[in-house]
Amino acid sequence: MNATFQYKWWIAVILTIVVQLLFLRDLALFYYGFCFLYVWAIIKAPIETPPAYLILGGFVLGWLLDVFYNTHGMHAFATVLVAWLRPTFFNILTPANGYDERSSISLAEMKWMWFFPYLGLMLFTHHLVLFLLEASDMSMFGLSLWKAFLSTLLGIAVFSLLELFNKGK
Amino acid sequence: MNQLFQFLLRQRNLLLFILLQVISLWAVFNYNNYQHTLYFNTTNSWAASILSTRQEVATYHQLRDINGELALENQQLHQQVFQLQAQVQQKADLPVFFSKASLDRYKPIACKVIDQSTRNSQNYLTIEKGYQDGIRPGMAVISSTGVVGKVISCTPNLALIVSVLHTSNTVSAKIKSSGELGYIKWPGYQPEVAELMDVSKYKKVVKGDTIVTSDYNAVYPPNIPIGIVAKVGLQDDGTFHDIKVMLLTHFSTLRYVYVIENKFAGQQATLDQAKPKID
Repeated sequence: MNATFQYKWWIAVILTIVVQLLFLRDLALFYYGFCFLYVWAIIKAPIETPPAYLILGGFVLGWLLDVFYNTHGMHAFATVLVAWLRPTFFNILTPANGYDERSSISLAEMKWMWFFPYLGLMLFTHHLVLFLLEASDMSMFGLSLWKAFLSTLLGIAVFSLLELFNKGK
Repeated sequence: MNQLFQFLLRQRNLLLFILLQVISLWAVFNYNNYQHTLYFNTTNSWAASILSTRQEVATYHQLRDINGELALENQQLHQQVFQLQAQVQQKADLPVFFSKASLDRYKPIACKVIDQSTRNSQNYLTIEKGYQDGIRPGMAVISSTGVVGKVISCTPNLALIVSVLHTSNTVSAKIKSSGELGYIKWPGYQPEVAELMDVSKYKKVVKGDTIVTSDYNAVYPPNIPIGIVAKVGLQDDGTFHDIKVMLLTHFSTLRYVYVIENKFAGQQATLDQAKPKID
């Protein structure tokens, strides 16, 4: 991984956070579909990122979101959880010929057979935990599940679009 | 000792994970303890300044709607002025049970909203006035069209409001025409619709009835509009009406609100403390 790539990555992370906080905050598709673009940073972090950095980064990112969403710890919890589970998901989804040291997480490189299940697992885990915590009420379990499901579909669509744009570059 | 140290080193990721999850959960479950987490929400000064700028841009694009609302409000205020003028003339012969002090019991404070959400299961607003402007936790917040919520925490210049669009923030309410009591609860989705609970099925409720705040309300002044009955059905248990209420406050375009200072709040709290505790 060279320096220019890292520099690009950081800019992208900051952009996703800004877009999340200023534009996506009040956006909801049919009341149930939410877009949490900020998870991009965790999803797209290079494969060889040390887990400790990922977990700490997830916490800082989640906490920042909490400050702006008035959700006090919920985003932090969900983001740290997916950051921690990421290596496990990697193990579950190992491609036939294993991971290449230099491969990056992208639709172009990993192909959709790997990329979509990975996106789905990451987003659904994050969203379900987040919505359950936010509802803070088990009687709303069905509603939370439905919201998590729709938001995951929306998330997969948005993240795939971003991948297609990346590919063009 | 060395083994223990090596074990910790090997499991450092797991330990870090557990530590951070515990901190997050602590924040989630300690939130009612406002003082502790006061600076970790939108009343935090830098978060507020960013959101305030964002809201200014949004407000600019909604000037037309806001103008409309202001005009409507002006009209209603004019109407009230006439009504009050009529009342003032009769002030000398108020009924005997009427306390003169209660005539100016409530005082509105106009505030600008710098941040709000309507899409979460639990929604909050942030306003640009705080302690220094006389705002205190527990005060009611209304808009030009209806109820908005309740102040839960203040900093010197900002305050956080828990919206009516919050599943545990219920409002004691009554049906304006019949005086039938109940409470308003938001089911957690659709920012336009709430439910009126606890109205017995033997009472008459008609679509189009206005719902207002009740007289036995610790937070809101009585007779503040809440919503209009949109649908009447029967709840699953068969004892209560299932009433859907269209809220009169348009939360998603809310830009200005009024915090209501209740001059009797302190006295009421003192009286409540004097109640004998029966367990």
